[in-house]
Amino acid sequence: MLMTYNALPLFKFIFMENKSAPTVPAKKRKEPFWLPLLPDGFRDFLTEAGEISRFVTRFFKEVWFPPYEFKEIFRQSYEIGYRSLPLVGLTAFIIGLVLTLQSRPTLARFGAESWLPAMVGISIIREIGPVIVALVCAGKIGSSIGAELGSMKVTEQIDAMEVSGTNPFRYIVVSRILSTTFMIPILVIMGDAIALVGSYLAVKLTGAISLTLFFQEVFESTDFSDFVPAFIKTFFFGFAIGVIGCYKGYNSKKGTEGVGESANSSVVVASLLVFVIDLVAVQITQFFGYL
Amino acid sequence: MMEPVTAPVGKSTAREYGEAIIEIAHLHKSFGENHVLNDFNLTVRRGENVVVLGKSGCGKSVLIKCIVGLLKYEEGSLKVFGKEINQLKQKELDEMRARIGFVFQSSALYDSMTVRENLEFSLRRHGKGKSKQEILQLVEEMLENVGLANAINLMPSELSGGMRKRIGLARSLILKPELMLYDEPTTGLDPITAEEISNLMLAMQQKYNTSSIIISHDMHCARLTANRLAVMIDGINYAEGTFEELSKITDPKVHAFFKNDKL
Ligand SMILES: Nc1ncnc2c1ncn2[C@@H]1O[C@H](COP(=O)(O)OP(=O)(O)OP(=O)(O)O)[C@@H](O)[C@H]1O
Ligand SMILES: [Mg+2]
Repeated sequence: MLMTYNALPLFKFIFMENKSAPTVPAKKRKEPFWLPLLPDGFRDFLTEAGEISRFVTRFFKEVWFPPYEFKEIFRQSYEIGYRSLPLVGLTAFIIGLVLTLQSRPTLARFGAESWLPAMVGISIIREIGPVIVALVCAGKIGSSIGAELGSMKVTEQIDAMEVSGTNPFRYIVVSRILSTTFMIPILVIMGDAIALVGSYLAVKLTGAISLTLFFQEVFESTDFSDFVPAFIKTFFFGFAIGVIGCYKGYNSKKGTEGVGESANSSVVVASLLVFVIDLVAVQITQFFGYL
Repeated sequence: MMEPVTAPVGKSTAREYGEAIIEIAHLHKSFGENHVLNDFNLTVRRGENVVVLGKSGCGKSVLIKCIVGLLKYEEGSLKVFGKEINQLKQKELDEMRARIGFVFQSSALYDSMTVRENLEFSLRRHGKGKSKQEILQLVEEMLENVGLANAINLMPSELSGGMRKRIGLARSLILKPELMLYDEPTTGLDPITAEEISNLMLAMQQKYNTSSIIISHDMHCARLTANRLAVMIDGINYAEGTFEELSKITDPKVHAFFKNDKL
């Protein structure tokens, strides 16, 4: 008698319809009919974009309601913001210094050396500061979030959290996205300031100029419309870095290879997104600039 | 239709148990072409320990992950505390999970937290307004139970594999759940600790009338803890009964589990 049990599923599969149990099918999402017709690469891109937007939607659904994980948000802000400051500072300082040194000969040729602080200041505040800091953060923070969440996923820590009745999305993902969204703008402001100091030192190398005079010249030549759009876009940079890192880590494939892949692809995608957002932001600013 | 599954050796209940906590009927679960659970049936009653035996990779972990709703099953019925798992809303599922303890095969300790924070994690959320002092006391008591009282401030990375297992166990037991799902709780432990853990599992059952599903290859642990055993082969509940009943079965597939461990 015992031996017959083995063949039963196959038997059933071939010969009869199983109607004995109340059937509770798991929900399945319907695929649009045109999706399989597209070329592979493009289809994967669309699928991924769709998944990411679902992820973002879920973030906006969950972010408003308690329990708020304040402790975790602060811990992450410390990890993400404070711990990135040395790297961001060093990069910004060097960029400010080098940019100034490189621009000087060109300006000198037109006898416009005195414009140096103004020109460097505008380019740092409007463009180079935000983008460089965002890229550095995409590398440092994106990879660390991707790898951390990836290994949490692989070692079933996310499952464990879910089973313990805590919403892992809120605890892990929402707190990290909020932290990056608010820390990156702060890092950008600090980075801008440090880059300007670097630039001041470069100006000072060849001509006598006081720190006050340098900053006076920088701020005289920049105004509201230089600063505000550049600042607003940094929130989007931070948001994108957080979302991509979390998405890649949270959906990491099983195994250590999956962890490496999430870390890697979160850096790549986040950096790309920084450029895309920057491009869009420039278009929008220009549009409003002409009004 | 053929009547396959339950107890080929006759229903066996050494003592009477309460109402059914888990009712699994005709459960199907597959990953693509890989049909892991094929018409699986099992019932667990209040206060009962059921040990599930089965070859590596046969779907034991998948089964208990379906029970807590970590994996969605495709067909059949799976009721826990009388509610169909696939039909629960997220909130109801979370409420149910607070009544269930789950010991992961891989321990799944939170890497970024100390042992103490690991144990406190769910207490803080479901502890129903316990004071800091009470929480600490519970944590210490639970660590005492698994023999790791002095590991309280260590990070998971500083623990050995067996220690992680025991911390994982303490973390799931701390909420005094009504239903425990143990995924190989004694695998990789020395015989002395394994026996201690088995006794702890028994103590929990007796003290709180906990029901459990215990997945184990450790026949010693199975014999100690099981009120009933189920042998899973090819995704079905192949044989079911008490340790004594199953160890008498001559069917080679079942016998393979018992041949080294006659009563
Ligand atoms: N998330 C998943 N995606 C795809 N396949 C899976 C997944 N989880 C498990 N499987 C498959 O399901 C089958 C059963 O796996 P499961 O982990 O339940 O085995 P097990 O009985 O617990 O074995 P062990 O004793 O080694 O832990 C395996 O063939 C595995 O490949
Ligand atoms: Mg397993």
